[in-house]
Amino acid sequence: MPFTEPVLLKRINADPAKRKLHFYDDYVATGGYKGLEAALQMAPADIIKTTIDSGLRGRGGAGFSAGQKWSFIPKEKRGPHYLCVNADESEPGTFKDRYLIDYDPHQMLEGIAIACIATQCDIAYIFIRGEYHRQAKVLEHAIKEAYEHGIFGPQGIKGSATKLECYVHKGAGAYICGEETGLLEALEGKRGWPRNKPPFPAIAGAFAKPTVINNVETLAAVPHIIERGPIEGPRWFKSMGTPSSPGPKLYGMSGHVNSPGVYEDELGITLEHAIKLAGGMKGGAYKASICGGISMGVLGTNQLDIKLDFDDVRFRGGCLGLGTAGMIVMNEHTDMVLALRNCVRFYAHESCGQCTPCREGSAWMRKILDRIVDGGGRAQDLEMLLELEKTMGIMPGTTICGLADGTAWATRTFINKFYDEFAAKCPETPVPQFSLKRGSLNVLQPMGSNTR
Amino acid sequence: MAWIVENRRTQVVEKRETPYLTADMKIDLANRYFPRYPTKRAVLLPALHAVQHQYGWIPTQAMEELGEFLGLQPAEVMDTATFYEEYWLKPKGKYLVAVCRSLACELCGSTELTKHLKKKLNIEPAETTADGKFTLVEYECLGSCGTAPAALCNDVLHENINPESFGHWLDTLPEDPHEYHDSSVTWDETASAH
Ligand SMILES: Cc1cc2nc3c(=O)[nH]c(=O)nc-3n(C[C@H](O)[C@H](O)[C@H](O)COP(=O)(O)O)c2cc1C
Ligand code: SF4
Ligand code: FES
Repeated sequence: MPFTEPVLLKRINADPAKRKLHFYDDYVATGGYKGLEAALQMAPADIIKTTIDSGLRGRGGAGFSAGQKWSFIPKEKRGPHYLCVNADESEPGTFKDRYLIDYDPHQMLEGIAIACIATQCDIAYIFIRGEYHRQAKVLEHAIKEAYEHGIFGPQGIKGSATKLECYVHKGAGAYICGEETGLLEALEGKRGWPRNKPPFPAIAGAFAKPTVINNVETLAAVPHIIERGPIEGPRWFKSMGTPSSPGPKLYGMSGHVNSPGVYEDELGITLEHAIKLAGGMKGGAYKASICGGISMGVLGTNQLDIKLDFDDVRFRGGCLGLGTAGMIVMNEHTDMVLALRNCVRFYAHESCGQCTPCREGSAWMRKILDRIVDGGGRAQDLEMLLELEKTMGIMPGTTICGLADGTAWATRTFINKFYDEFAAKCPETPVPQFSLKRGSLNVLQPMGSNTR
Repeated sequence: MAWIVENRRTQVVEKRETPYLTADMKIDLANRYFPRYPTKRAVLLPALHAVQHQYGWIPTQAMEELGEFLGLQPAEVMDTATFYEEYWLKPKGKYLVAVCRSLACELCGSTELTKHLKKKLNIEPAETTADGKFTLVEYECLGSCGTAPAALCNDVLHENINPESFGHWLDTLPEDPHEYHDSSVTWDETASAH
């Protein structure tokens, strides 16, 4: 039985005019909190096993098995355990978590409650990015309802022995707080500087206690599995998607498509199919698509047949991974040099500055790209970009977190897949008058327009 | 540019008699946030938000007061506050208009939107209009890529923006920014604090 009907989006109408926010009563009336009831009848170890069996992989970018992550939390409790929900969603091209919160917040709250039972967490912090003002208000209200209905609060979840508190913690405009340890630092009231690992959060996370960090969409998928029980749940989940990437997935389609928006389908649909879901190309033929947030890189003109799952995008697609499955589709009139400049400017702006290759590398790459865009490209610039790109990231082992890998993969895939377009702007004989004008161009001026 | 550090060695902290962190604010923060976290420092982000909500920005004196309130050094407060782009450490306009400049929005016309707003308000990004009503900034992705171009006006997100009509609409905003609310928040917000 492949994907036949929406799972995570079952309460959210495809027609924008008919969409409405589901608070507690609407949620329960449409079958909500059944998964939680099932979870209360199960031992924590069984919930974890069911989740592992289902093959649910994290939807926040890394694609790590959710159940396995939970199993790393110590079974013996020596103090509080925490759950941090990663609702920091700031990866360009990604807007699925916001969609889930905007219309169906209780689905995620139910997932939170189940995850907390499984990992014996005492407090769940929902870390939401500061710009999501409305979404924070929606969550505050939904949480209040959940308290009133005995899900959170000192009386124990639905009267059981497991007590759970749930709070919203607002970020303040820093992409890096989406990185799980950057998030923990921001939660603790510090600069959102990612931590060196180990220790891993499962052992020493928030406030140095065992901590689970999961994405909104990951948690929203959990009730659907648990509700169906330890045998049927995994079987049902695996009936969708591919063997290594089972289940439904939200695809955020944006850019040059006729009906941009969030669409749900199983994992492993082709890029072509995803574009079809979003109403087809707008303004011209297909040229390229960001696959899963800009950090994953770009899929080229001849890659419409790539399957959008955790593996094919990597092995055949040549990208870093599926990421968040936020696709920014570009038509034939798009200037790839400008597009890459936009991406690299993002990284130069959002680098937290701890690691030299990331901080200096991204700033340097941005300056080179600015110069190419301004007409001063030189043949050696492309080599320089490709050399810089190889030096930064967790993969070459030079940085603390994966932001730098994102910079590297975006640059690498853009230049390699659209080499001619870049080369045309970086001639063997550079524009001679450029060096004279250089001082007047923004290349040497301070960066960052938002200096407060 | 979280890592760009301003030289504050010679900075003179402007003082005023009345504290920024009023007794009421302290009580509210203590009641609401102290029970939530095992450390007081974790209250810092919510507390900075509260100060900014009240005054529109975060004066240095308020950071000192927050330090005292939470048992932190003023430098620790500043260390955190300077990292986050949303905290304004100098005054801004009553309305912060933040246009998204990331890829999906750029593909869908954010450059024209910024250009139009620059012309209309007669300021560059990061500047404030002479009457103190508007500050224009460019942000990175606002999580609204499917409805690009997008911009935030204070707490309210605007999607699928048409530059002309957005510009006209800005003229209709009330003088007091606290009177401007998100009309899609239809439930009682004040009752939400548990
Ligand atoms: C630079 C960077 C930014 C990230 N931003 C986010 C984010 O905004 N939201 C998110 O859920 N995960 C983000 N992640 C991934 C998290 O580190 C983490 O893997 C994820 O929250 C784990 O949840 P999951 O297992 O449910 O996917 C980011 C990672 C990196 C390296
Ligand atoms: S890789 Fe970049 S963003 Fe990540 S910790 Fe290092 S400097 Fe910060
Ligand atoms: S790119 Fe503008 S909202 Fe995402």
